[in-house]
Amino acid sequence: MPATTLSSISGAALSGYAGYVGRRLAQFLIVVFIGINIAYLVTHASPIDPVEQSISAVTSFGNTAPDAIEQMRNSLRELYGLGGTPVQQYLTFWKRILSADFGPSLSAFPTPVGTLIVRALPWTAGLLAVSTLVAWVLGNLLGGLAGYYRQSRGLKLMGVIAMGLHPIPYYILAMLLLILFGFIWPVLPISGGAAMNLPQSLTPEYVWSVLQHAILPALSLILIGVGSWFLGMRSLVSNVLAEDYVVYAELAGVKSWRILTSYVMRNALVPQVTGLAMSLGGIFNGAVITEKVFGYPGLGSLLVDAVYAGDYGLVLGVTTVSILGVSVGVLAIDLLYPLLDPRVKVG
Amino acid sequence: MAVFLRDLLRYRAEFRIGVALVAAVLLLSVLASFSPYPPDSVYVVPPDLPPSLTYWFGTTSRGQDVFWQLSFAIRNTLLFGGTVALVSRLVALAVGLISGYKGGWLDRVLMSVNDTFIVIPLLPILVLFYFVMRDRISWLMLALIMACFGWAYDARLIRSVVMSLRQREFTQTSLFSGMSTRQILTEEHLPYVMPILFSTTMNNMVWSIGLEVTLAVLGFTDINTPTIGGMIYWANQHTAMVAGIWWWIAFPTITVIMAFIGLFLLAVSVNAHIDPRSRLWSVGGAS
Amino acid sequence: MHADAEQPQRDQDAQPLLSVRDLQAYYQTSHAGVRRGIRAVDGVSFAVRRGEIYGLAGESSSGKTTLIKSIAGAIRPPLEIVGGSMEFAFLPGYGGLHRAPPAELERIRWRHLSYIMQGSMNVLNPVRRVRSSFVDFAYPHIGGSRRRFEQQVIAHLARVKLDPSVLAAFPHELSGGMRQRAALALATICRPGFIIADEPTTALDVVVQKEVLGMLRGIQRETGSSVLFVTHDMGVHAHITDRLAIMYAGRLVEEAATTEIFGNPLHPYTRHLISSLPRIGDDAPRQGLGGAPPNLADPPSGCRFHPRCPLAREICRREIPVMGESAPGHRVACFAVNQGERA
Repeated sequence: MPATTLSSISGAALSGYAGYVGRRLAQFLIVVFIGINIAYLVTHASPIDPVEQSISAVTSFGNTAPDAIEQMRNSLRELYGLGGTPVQQYLTFWKRILSADFGPSLSAFPTPVGTLIVRALPWTAGLLAVSTLVAWVLGNLLGGLAGYYRQSRGLKLMGVIAMGLHPIPYYILAMLLLILFGFIWPVLPISGGAAMNLPQSLTPEYVWSVLQHAILPALSLILIGVGSWFLGMRSLVSNVLAEDYVVYAELAGVKSWRILTSYVMRNALVPQVTGLAMSLGGIFNGAVITEKVFGYPGLGSLLVDAVYAGDYGLVLGVTTVSILGVSVGVLAIDLLYPLLDPRVKVG
Repeated sequence: MAVFLRDLLRYRAEFRIGVALVAAVLLLSVLASFSPYPPDSVYVVPPDLPPSLTYWFGTTSRGQDVFWQLSFAIRNTLLFGGTVALVSRLVALAVGLISGYKGGWLDRVLMSVNDTFIVIPLLPILVLFYFVMRDRISWLMLALIMACFGWAYDARLIRSVVMSLRQREFTQTSLFSGMSTRQILTEEHLPYVMPILFSTTMNNMVWSIGLEVTLAVLGFTDINTPTIGGMIYWANQHTAMVAGIWWWIAFPTITVIMAFIGLFLLAVSVNAHIDPRSRLWSVGGAS
Repeated sequence: MHADAEQPQRDQDAQPLLSVRDLQAYYQTSHAGVRRGIRAVDGVSFAVRRGEIYGLAGESSSGKTTLIKSIAGAIRPPLEIVGGSMEFAFLPGYGGLHRAPPAELERIRWRHLSYIMQGSMNVLNPVRRVRSSFVDFAYPHIGGSRRRFEQQVIAHLARVKLDPSVLAAFPHELSGGMRQRAALALATICRPGFIIADEPTTALDVVVQKEVLGMLRGIQRETGSSVLFVTHDMGVHAHITDRLAIMYAGRLVEEAATTEIFGNPLHPYTRHLISSLPRIGDDAPRQGLGGAPPNLADPPSGCRFHPRCPLAREICRREIPVMGESAPGHRVACFAVNQGERA
């Protein structure tokens, strides 16, 4: 074999990876572009003026002087770029988003929307990252075992439980947990991000309190996640088991633990990584409602409360940040993907 | 088709359970037509009564009979899911078929848009939508906008099925034997796409009903049309759990969980049945 | 057809490496309460000697895949061994891999017995480097330092004309032919006494096929392994095997040295197989075989070939012909042939 082969192999692999990264970046930009445009369309194509909406929401809480309302209307119009031609409006919209400037929050005036979002973001990011990771790892591990040890009674039972858990929407499960641990067996905090009386610092008491408060929201995200990864992995594994390289390794007497990990699970994990990227948006939806149920101080609670308070800038800001955040998460997974699958397509 | 259903019923316990659950839920929704009370009137029965022989599932704090209210709610909820599924099916089929058969740049463009719709977090956008629409939001409007978002995942599935069908030998054979494209599509390929279409419909209903419940519970839908989520919303408004009116929340929750699990089981059992490998396991035949 | 292979066989006749006796392997199914058996292998006996390439030929539903599955111990429901034994010289006393305890299996696998599969191109784990396959498969048997092991692998790769750099590559970075050769190296690295080759070259184009067969032959000569070589392709058999058995509908119908089979085929089915091979300068029209291969769930009575046989007579419908030696080393199961000789 000519010695050139190897250098050409690694050369092709490199340009393949560069091309892959380029395509993923392009897809990332497309997602953000389409997402933001949908947000624009939703806010601007509706027959109802969001500014009037905000004003009516604010004024419904009490009497406000007419000239104060007029002043508010003008500043809102200016803030949300609802003046000028549609093209101007569209450009203003993008300018605000690119400069991450959503103006002051109406409900927490005069705190800027950006500050509120930055305050809430770590809670959501932490909750989502931990629970998604735990659910993914646990679900794939158990699902992989269940696909490999088809006869195990315990794993079969787990399959039945997963089938029952997976289709339940996040809200219902969160509510069931809330009832269980809030009313029937009250052992865990059911609301908030940490105990109110503790100062926000890195003291052991505070960290412990944060962890305690995260258990129920995380648990409801994890339970549903584990169910779906479990079912997906189980059926993937039963497909991989029939692949030539697995059958061959079995014939060769490769240790069964090795076959399970390096051959079966390792290959079945590849589509599960793609699956993780694809379901990130759905998981985020789940986090929004779960946060609301448990009063967790993240983006989800912020969003829902902003709607109740009629805070247009905050709703738009959280929506935009959500689209961006999920897209970044998807991009990160996409960029890590070649680590797991060397066959990143060159074409 | 009849053989397909018979085999499913005979060999798949999941399918039997799924059919039973969905049938029970459907029966309840059909009963709505026989309700003695109109769905939107309140204080027609004494409030806060626990389940009894007169009021099977108890009554609400708003003076409604939970049983009859529930039958309206589940009917509307299922109709909602059905509408979303139907409309999104049209988009998913169109995109999946075009992408799968045409291929090339059109496929790449469509899949790029498709993947975008898969990853965009929908709940914030729906919340935004509610925020600008407020009271003008209607049941149908919500169903349509969800259908606009709920096609992407299934379009990808349909595309992959179509692409594998295109590779198969019988497609080439029928092509050479002079069948028209339309004939190949309807006579040769449709039978393979149908089960996928069915299972994605079930899954789509699970998805859209779940989102509707979520939105309704937050009060972000038309709360005057009784739906499962709407019932839980009103129960929460009256702090039913704290007040001990558990039946107001328990029965809608149980019903909707039955619907979810039933629909999901129908989807997985049909899916598993299409896969020839797992069909062999369950039927116990030889290769 | 290798005349030189005849010589060593004579001395080692006494102790074959594998002897299969009256093997019956059925697919047992119970469909709606009715038990049915597909008799894929029904009373097969043969022996593979040391250092020979023993060919097994037959069409796709002849049961040859079931036969090698049984020999390889890859027996999963609904496949069941109903009767008979398969005794390896290096695994005495168990009557088949499927009855051997796991510790014994671990001892002999790859060390004494290895496989080359039909999907040889796909036997390498697609997400790991080729090196790790060699480590997983062979290192537990070869042992020693990792460095010495690697040198041994590199030396062996050279036998199949592969560069050491292949070890660091992923399977998808290699061409089909390279993967095929890597798989061949993987199957032979431990110098196993017995190799089961199941349609190893079927998916390859003719040039690559010839190259791979040549390499297999070379390695087999060097290591003195026995090979059970299964393919439907009579041309490949002519090219590589020393002795050849023909299988039809779950039974052996003829067995002899490959040269003898091609030069003097006796069973009508064998004759048909050979006469359907293309030959240079022969432009006589090929004669097709009427009828279809039998349904093994309900095979024909007596000789299973009789419905399609041009020589079929009354006895063929009633009785099962046994393998009889028509000449030294040439066995055939056919009433027409055996009686014809008697008469």
